[in-house]
Amino acid sequence: MTSMELLPALLLVPLVAAALAFASRWAGAAAKPLVTLIHAVSMTVLLLGTLRLAGELLQVDQIAALHGWMQVDSLGAVFLGLVGVVGFLIGVYAIGYMNYELAHGAIDVGRLCNFYGIFNLFVFTMLLAVTANNVIMMWVAVEATTLGSAFLVGFYGKRSSLEAAWKYVVICPVGVAFGLYGVVLVYSNGVAVLPVVGDASSWTALLFNAQLLDPTLVKLAFVFVLIGFGTKAGLFPMHAWLPDAHSEAPSPISALLSAVLLNCAMLIVLRFGMIAAKAVGPSFPQTLLLIFGLLSVGVAAFFIVVQRDIKRLLAYSSVENMGLIAFAFGLGGPLGILAGLLHTINHSLVKALMFCGSGNILIKYGTPAMDSVKGILKVAPITGALFIAGALALGGVPPFNIFVSEFMVVTAGLAAGHPWLIGLCLLLLTVVLAGLVRMLAATVFGAAPDNVPRGDTGALTLLPMGVLLVAMLVMGIRAPAPVGQLLARAAAQVQTGSQPQIAQAPAPGTAVAPTPDATPAAR
Amino acid sequence: MENLALTIILLPFLGALVTALSPQRVAKWVATVFSALAAAAVIALAIGFDQAGKLAREVDLLSFGQTALMGLTIDRLSVLVCVAVVVLGFLVVAYSTAYLTDGNREHPHDGRPRYYAFLLLFIGAMAGLVLSSTLVGQLVFFEITGACSWGLIGYYEKPKALKSAIKALIITHIAAIGLYFAAAWLFVDTGSFALTGLAHLNDGAKVAVFLGILIAAWGKSAQLPLHAWLPDAMEAPTPVSAYLHAASMVKVGVYLFARALYSAGAVPEVIGWVGVTMAVVTMVYGFLMYLPQRDMKRLLAYSTISQLSLIFMALSLSVFGSELAFKGAVAHIFNHAFAKSLFFLVAGALSYSCGTRMLPSLRGLLKHTPLLGISFCVAALSITGVPPFNGFFSKFPIFTAGFQLSAAHLLLLPLVVIALIESVASFAWFLRWFGDTTPGEASEAVAKAQPVPPAICFVLVTLIVMCVASSFIAASWLG
Amino acid sequence: MNGPLIVNALAGLLIVTSLLVTSAGNATRAARLYAAQSLVLVLIFLTLARTHGAHELYWWSVSAFVTKVVLVPWIMLRTLATLPEKEDLPGVLSPAALIVVAALIVGLSCYAVSSVHLAVVDPLKPALGVSLGHFLLGLVCIVSQRNLLKQVFGFCLMENGSHLTLALLAWRAPELVEIGIATDAVFAVVIMVVLVRRIQRSMNTLDVRQLTALKG
Repeated sequence: MTSMELLPALLLVPLVAAALAFASRWAGAAAKPLVTLIHAVSMTVLLLGTLRLAGELLQVDQIAALHGWMQVDSLGAVFLGLVGVVGFLIGVYAIGYMNYELAHGAIDVGRLCNFYGIFNLFVFTMLLAVTANNVIMMWVAVEATTLGSAFLVGFYGKRSSLEAAWKYVVICPVGVAFGLYGVVLVYSNGVAVLPVVGDASSWTALLFNAQLLDPTLVKLAFVFVLIGFGTKAGLFPMHAWLPDAHSEAPSPISALLSAVLLNCAMLIVLRFGMIAAKAVGPSFPQTLLLIFGLLSVGVAAFFIVVQRDIKRLLAYSSVENMGLIAFAFGLGGPLGILAGLLHTINHSLVKALMFCGSGNILIKYGTPAMDSVKGILKVAPITGALFIAGALALGGVPPFNIFVSEFMVVTAGLAAGHPWLIGLCLLLLTVVLAGLVRMLAATVFGAAPDNVPRGDTGALTLLPMGVLLVAMLVMGIRAPAPVGQLLARAAAQVQTGSQPQIAQAPAPGTAVAPTPDATPAAR
Repeated sequence: MENLALTIILLPFLGALVTALSPQRVAKWVATVFSALAAAAVIALAIGFDQAGKLAREVDLLSFGQTALMGLTIDRLSVLVCVAVVVLGFLVVAYSTAYLTDGNREHPHDGRPRYYAFLLLFIGAMAGLVLSSTLVGQLVFFEITGACSWGLIGYYEKPKALKSAIKALIITHIAAIGLYFAAAWLFVDTGSFALTGLAHLNDGAKVAVFLGILIAAWGKSAQLPLHAWLPDAMEAPTPVSAYLHAASMVKVGVYLFARALYSAGAVPEVIGWVGVTMAVVTMVYGFLMYLPQRDMKRLLAYSTISQLSLIFMALSLSVFGSELAFKGAVAHIFNHAFAKSLFFLVAGALSYSCGTRMLPSLRGLLKHTPLLGISFCVAALSITGVPPFNGFFSKFPIFTAGFQLSAAHLLLLPLVVIALIESVASFAWFLRWFGDTTPGEASEAVAKAQPVPPAICFVLVTLIVMCVASSFIAASWLG
Repeated sequence: MNGPLIVNALAGLLIVTSLLVTSAGNATRAARLYAAQSLVLVLIFLTLARTHGAHELYWWSVSAFVTKVVLVPWIMLRTLATLPEKEDLPGVLSPAALIVVAALIVGLSCYAVSSVHLAVVDPLKPALGVSLGHFLLGLVCIVSQRNLLKQVFGFCLMENGSHLTLALLAWRAPELVEIGIATDAVFAVVIMVVLVRRIQRSMNTLDVRQLTALKG
């Protein structure tokens, strides 16, 4: 199978798996093993497929498919790889977690089938979001991620989870509708000025011709896009849905939301940021990203310190980290972009670990409230140890990976001439660290309650966390060469792609081709 | 030799992993073996380095593109300090195997694998920090030591201990911001993280980078205004206090400063003035805080603060061009590590056998527990700088250098005089407690003391020997 | 050729209908009014199709008719039939205040789009302003209503606003996009309605002010 065929096929996998999962509820007694098998196969294929595609993008600049509607470039490959790897690990964790929920009567087999069905559907929409090349399809895909995951947020049907689902399903589409406005502005502008009208919805073509676009419209469009997709990425002040949705969803879903979904939205912000930077110069999008980023870090930091609920705390930490990523992109320069991309990966790995850990805590204690969760280290030592490592990593303690990207942000900031912003940012990150160790002090240590049975949760819930921990350490000490190469290529792509061309023809291997090879049918 | 140095860093990390996975019964023995191996390696390194003619060398370990991120530096400074931190690490682990047992009168408690794992991690991180040739490397290990100290201070899991642990972590992390800045600034200006790059900075950048390093150093060495964590950190198990708050972690700060000065060539005098002034202010503050203390560990904490100020003062004096002050400072890092560890471990031994370390309830140590009495006596005399103990031999050159420099910089004279007065006054204060506790008839707690286990005896005797010998080692090493 | 004139006039009607939807006394009436409004939208599409001679827009009007005039109101009415609507949940804004707000918003939107220079929309500036204003009015509806179902209508109004913008600015986009947007609207409404029913069943109210379990 060539990579051009692999890309659409890869998207089909979770879609088909979702249909099969929904259907397997009629399989009677075989439903549970059947649906678990479908899910496991789907996740494995997803992992292998994304890794192969990402590997190929080390050789080529772009893989396009479906007449240029879909494309993966080096930048997209980073995010596609994340969906694949983190999605797979969370998918495996979900099997262990949901088996437990089933065994303890929290759900029945029919709902288990629904869960895996929607899970795969959700993964499909996220794959769509990172591979879409048509700007309007990007919006459709992000909107679909909301609709796809709404029932997962409200999965338990409790008062609070329904409320969270409601906020999610109102705030996100409304926010993302702003994104649509931005997209439409860029598109209609493109229709007016692009040499080939049919190209106006192709992101690659828009980026290539960005200098032809009207500066005022592009600025307006970027503001809309930032508000719109920034809602979905969890940037302050549009983050209101995030803590509720993340804390009320089943833990594997919280992990998926935080570690994968937010990145997809951030990718689209970045893609439009590239267009804006090329059209009106980098300072406009960068300033906006700096402001939204730093505000998100600041506000989230203070919410983190006062939380009494583990999952809400982790949710605010997602706001903080997405803010930091936006901040890094806002700093710009090769180092800033690299730092932002690296932090995206690092945050995903750590946050997946933490939400899986919170799932294990919920299994043992039945609540995420810090007042009730005590002595994890005595109740479930492995979970406790992993949780400590994860929280310290999240706080930016070496040798874990987040330290590396945070330090890169600092360096990028000094290189960009923002020492005071960096100082403020580091102080805020210290507040975050304080909030995290405060949580550890309250939950991991101390005497365990008597009514909680001793013993760790099963292997399926611990193994993915262990893999994540190893990945965190590897990324923290020395990123594997292919990952480093891919990141460098992606950062170079963002950097050169958002610079005005000097000559008519871009240097080979630096800029992205105007339109993918197979565009004619889009005209 | 590089491989040996790398072994010293990695062995404790490996040991920590193995220890953490071991069952509780064997964990402490696993930890002892690993720390003993690390100590043997560091001594082998020192001997090898000495026989090779003490030629400084550097090697890059980890690079990103052309930029070295981490590397090793092996020279007189790093090897000497590395010997102190790793050997003391071994002694503290050995001491802990006896201290953290159910036989302990103050804290009957059997040490968990977690304790030994953190301690080993700490030894590895300290060795890494000392041997690092880049600012990033230093920052990484700086932060790891911070995280380990959090784990160790909060080890008893009491609310107060956990709070103190957070306090220590956060204050030292705020200090680390200085190091973040220094490293990033160095990189932006020189395109490299190597400490040797400091020499190529212009004066303005040098001042900025040194201020960053100083902030980091003040935080870790508990100097004003970032001192507040150290007295509270006394909630830690006493062997931890001995290691973190006497021998190693607080030495991170002064070592960072020393290493930067060593690599930077000429440094603008303003750094010297800032350093000396803050050092003297902290010293006076530290001394004033001696007065109300009754708990032996808290007294020692404040004593540590003012001793470190003395080292800061000496290092700052070296900015004005005094090599004597620099050597005195490095020697004092080495000497104070052994003397203060001994003092803390005596406090721990008193807790173990008498069930208390409150000074007013201790009397007649020499008669009933002669080893503890002698140890107390040696530690006090070393700390206050009475010959023939080690403190004297490093304090003396520092003050000599101070007075020499005062000839050229008159403003330094009052500062050095204040430091000298502080030194004498603290001697008087320790003499007072020494007189109260060591001679005479035994108090109730001392009379009922239980015998000290052999592991503790071994460690105390070793340290007593070192309190005499260390200054000679340092002097001949530094030449 | 008075196509643009008709479009602008119909766009004005759109605002009126959206005010009616927002201030409708009960959800049933709001659903019917929403159907009427969507019909106006379809008429705009048809006029635009004739004006631009664009066959794409005929397809748009067909799909908009199916989804917005028929499907969405039908879903809403069906849902309403199963819900016991006894609650009286007035909005925050009185009808008079609503009109003032709407006038402000539409005025501001028209001012905002006046700086847009695109050949496609020059004669249709008022309609473009209205489309943006309509979108924001939907937002006002969501923010000012206490009834969950009315919030769903608010979302539908926003949808209509952006749909109109799309028709004015981006009617040359591939059909697949339009289909995506239209189905998205239906799916969003279905999911919202299902959630409303589950909330009603579990909390016995449609009052958004009762949703207070999550804070901070």
